[in-house]
Amino acid sequence: MGALAALLLGDGRLPVGGHTYSAGLEPAVAAGLTRDRVPALLRARLRTTAVTEAAGAVLALRAAHRTPVAYEPVQRALAARMPAAPQREVSATLGRGVHRLARRLAPDHPAVTALAGLGSRPLRPVAFGALGALGAVMGVTAAELAHAVVHDELQTVAAAALKLLPGDPLDSVAWLLAARPDAESAVELALAVRTPDGLPARAAPLTEQWALDHARRERRLFLA
Amino acid sequence: MPDHENRPHTHHAGRPRALRLGVAGPVGTGKSSILAALCRALAPELSMAVVTNDIYTDEDARFLRSAGVLPTERIRAVETGACPHTAIRDDVTANLDAVEDLEEAYGPLDLVLVESGGDNLTATFSPALADAQLFCIDVAGGGDVARKGGPGITGADLLIVNKTDLAPHVEVDVAAMVADAEAARDGLPVLALSRKDPASVAELADWVRALLVRHRAGVHVPTDPGPMAPHRHA
Ligand SMILES: Nc1nc2c(ncn2[C@@H]2O[C@H](COP(=O)(O)OP(=O)(O)O)[C@@H](O)[C@H]2O)c(=O)[nH]1
Ligand SMILES: [Mg+2]
Repeated sequence: MGALAALLLGDGRLPVGGHTYSAGLEPAVAAGLTRDRVPALLRARLRTTAVTEAAGAVLALRAAHRTPVAYEPVQRALAARMPAAPQREVSATLGRGVHRLARRLAPDHPAVTALAGLGSRPLRPVAFGALGALGAVMGVTAAELAHAVVHDELQTVAAAALKLLPGDPLDSVAWLLAARPDAESAVELALAVRTPDGLPARAAPLTEQWALDHARRERRLFLA
Repeated sequence: MPDHENRPHTHHAGRPRALRLGVAGPVGTGKSSILAALCRALAPELSMAVVTNDIYTDEDARFLRSAGVLPTERIRAVETGACPHTAIRDDVTANLDAVEDLEEAYGPLDLVLVESGGDNLTATFSPALADAQLFCIDVAGGGDVARKGGPGITGADLLIVNKTDLAPHVEVDVAAMVADAEAARDGLPVLALSRKDPASVAELADWVRALLVRHRAGVHVPTDPGPMAPHRHA
């Protein structure tokens, strides 16, 4: 199941609400980002937020394989590394869609029931970790999960760019391929994290500011 | 935790969850006005909420809030990533979240109206989101629209031919347009509506009341208008 599950996890068509998210592109465009700077935005995210996201998902996956399943430490560590409230809220909204899918696939699996036991809605990396732990239906390795999270981040920006900064869709494939070295190092960094305490706090001040501005903006297309 | 949210008749305290009624149809045909009319007619007797889908987040929600037909906090808008089509059909996550939040905050609700961010004739609601749907076209779109068909026109639970008051101005024969629609729909109902014709608005409200009775009795089966129905040209 692993290889197929890993592809499913990183597929933008997974019906978990991803199409409402631009991975920071819309806030960046509102702040003046132009199309030629999209590769730079991708690089910046791969060195910051994407590392934290992927590492959080990997930690959650590992937690999901232990008995009893305890997500609180990674959920708290992630929240502490998302200083802007709108980012935590958006992560919880996206996590909610993933949680709904996990409940549909395996409602009684301990990795899934433990999500409901969190005091707050699972942040997206936590929900992804839980989903990735569903052995028979969706089981993936830590490396596959980290790749899926990073790939999803890139594709989310690229897909939103078609709406926000229209241009040749074939360009975006080239952007993603050019971002590969940074993507691979994001995955490596994520896999090297062993404990919630060690979760890198890879926030970027501009990303934070833009997220705060976006939450107050009217006439937006995307959640964030 | 068992997965209840996609079962149409989850009972909580012995009563089925709110009926979710979708309102789809091209831009400008009168969907928001229909939502306003339904709120005006039914809010006195039912606990209601509204979710809107727009290209830009909250135009429709703002229109409905300013109409003063429901407490403003019961009207939510969802972001659709510039794909209102996707948000009501291929991936209904954002809409389900909004419906569940409204249910949690103001429930138990009787009726949740969901307006599509109407883009064209082909967008219809997935049964994963809407238990039933209205599809709205108007006379100003021309007398041929009903005949041209499309999944909403042929398969929605109720087809509305709206703005009949404008018919004389656009030289459309309402009776003929309704007859064409009926022919395309194989017995499913068609309603000629105008907000200037109170009897037609009352008829619409009655249709929703009757649907709610069937929903509560567990006999209403959500159907998907789906893609264009196969058809023959005789
Ligand atoms: N003459 C007439 N105009 C209507 C009627 N219903 C709606 N409209 C007008 O049609 C326009 C579009 O209505 P709206 O409800 O916003 O359509 P939506 O885009 O489908 O939500 C507005 O200017 C309304 O005032 C009607 O019954 N008769
Ligand atoms: Mg409208």
